[in-house]
Amino acid sequence: MTVDRGSLARTLAFIALLLFATAPLLMLVATSLARGWFYPALSPTTIDTSAWRELFTDAGRRDALVNSVVLGVCTALVATMVALPLGRAAALSTRAVRRSVALLAFAAVALPPVALGIGLQLTVLTLGLGGSLFGVFLAHLVPTLGYLTLVFLGVFTRWDGRLEESAATLGANGFTRWRLVLLPLLRRPIVDAMALGFLVSWAQVALTLLVGGGAVRTLPLDVLAMLQAGQDQRAAAGALALAIPALLVLGASRVAARNTSAVVA
Amino acid sequence: MTITLDVRDLWVLFAGPPRPSVIDGSRTALLVEPSMEASLPAGHRIGLPGVTFTVNGGECLAVLGTSGAGKSSLLRTLAGLQPAARGTVLVSGREVTALPPERRGIVYLHQEPVLFPHLTVMDNVAFPLTVRGMPKREAQRRAVEMLRRLRVGELAVNAATALSGGQRHRVALARALCADPAVLLLDEPLSSLDPAVRRDVRTALLQAREVSGAATILVTHDLDDAMAVATHVSTIGRYGELSVPTAPAELLHAPPTLTAAQLLGVYAELAGVVEQEAGRSRFRWLGGVIDASGLEPGPTIACVRSHELEVHTAGTQASPVLSVMARRDAAHEVLLDLRDAAGATVTVRAPSHTRATLGDAVQVVVRHARFFPTH
Repeated sequence: MTVDRGSLARTLAFIALLLFATAPLLMLVATSLARGWFYPALSPTTIDTSAWRELFTDAGRRDALVNSVVLGVCTALVATMVALPLGRAAALSTRAVRRSVALLAFAAVALPPVALGIGLQLTVLTLGLGGSLFGVFLAHLVPTLGYLTLVFLGVFTRWDGRLEESAATLGANGFTRWRLVLLPLLRRPIVDAMALGFLVSWAQVALTLLVGGGAVRTLPLDVLAMLQAGQDQRAAAGALALAIPALLVLGASRVAARNTSAVVA
Repeated sequence: MTITLDVRDLWVLFAGPPRPSVIDGSRTALLVEPSMEASLPAGHRIGLPGVTFTVNGGECLAVLGTSGAGKSSLLRTLAGLQPAARGTVLVSGREVTALPPERRGIVYLHQEPVLFPHLTVMDNVAFPLTVRGMPKREAQRRAVEMLRRLRVGELAVNAATALSGGQRHRVALARALCADPAVLLLDEPLSSLDPAVRRDVRTALLQAREVSGAATILVTHDLDDAMAVATHVSTIGRYGELSVPTAPAELLHAPPTLTAAQLLGVYAELAGVVEQEAGRSRFRWLGGVIDASGLEPGPTIACVRSHELEVHTAGTQASPVLSVMARRDAAHEVLLDLRDAAGATVTVRAPSHTRATLGDAVQVVVRHARFFPTH
């Protein structure tokens, strides 16, 4: 029997990649369900779901979860509403303006979170919003706006402006053009941008810590605190809860991509 | 109410600096008044100065011009998609110069048909009716009817992205006609199409003219397209000036300017000089002498079509003998590069039955020519 070495190598590489991607998640699942899993046991000896129950029943943990969701949703909504027209205006403007906007947006993304956080902390404190949920929301908005502006700048740089021209000469005013042409065609990028905006806010640690000053609890901060306190099981459950939205977004974008191509074809 | 498009002293802007003419590179100095230059939007130059013409409902004016001459800029200005430096545009007597595109009653079709990719063919065509508030079902019914009139009714339920080039043009035309425009602007709809699709789209344009009472402007650089579709033709001159619209056959027979003759692409240009001999004007060129009564002496170019010229074997005529340096056969004529004894060369267009080949000694007889003084 002959063995296709290329095929074998590809299969092994795929398995290695799969293990690399899923091993940490599997480890988290096991840890979140294990009570007293100590060396040299290869698997948990006792299954316990208390850490998961606690995630939704413990008042402090639930507050953190709600704060994270509220911050993520609000940041995604507001950042999308600002970044869409900003990216469009920049893309339709002169090259110099386009480059300046891209540079500013990139700076908000590229600056180390701690450096950005300290700067924002001073600003938010000046505004009297230190330690408030609104202050943390404003802080989250900065990197999120950077990401989404870059997204929409890319979308509108490739945008076919003739669609709007056609709609205009066919009798559609500005509002109707947005309603009947732009928004339907931008549905996919808008959904993607909102998902990205949510995830950027959802995963923020440094900005929340610096601007919230410990008064605003979010899920990532809770997970870190539990890890520092040696509560591995709870930390693992929290970490998995943090990963769920990312996995959902990944799955939703795959479905959306399939649906979009079906419509176009 | 009678449909008319009246354009009066419209100054069309170019985005960016003016481009020189493809023909002779002459279009570098444009007719811009110093006082006007200061008031132009940044980065703009005057492309077409003082455009004035009228197109009545049911008529189609073809504007012939080279690439970069400002044809598309003219249409975009009329449609309100770019600002005009000055002048007025009146649609059926109503001034629309300052109105946004959606309130002008002017529909502009891009060179490549732009259909909305998220809508079906039927919904694309119903779009102008939908935006006017017509109930969706009624709009769709009318859209299907219009598609049938343009012979593409079977495409109604197709996705707009799943059409061939010719189908896209027909659907875009149907959509434009559904808007019931007073003015229809067609921006080179036939360029970049293969011959079969080109014939199909030409037919569609003629059908559209029958269906619609709109005043239509077609810009093109192709004489055949203009001849096939238009009722009148104008040409864009060296300095962006638009010639007076004339019937296509008349323009072909008697182009008003050298630029117009060059644009038509059917004339050979014979450079020479008009001389006075015994009280008569004669045009002397490489291949001999042509009667040029009424012309002032000086450098002149004679434009001659292939059927107005005969090429004979040397020794049969009185004119100078020329040698054939190259022969290029085209669909309906032959292009011959000729050289005289002194080494000067000229290219003539001759009838397709001309037998002269490379190295032959020939004599040329010109039976009719149009003269354009160049001094």
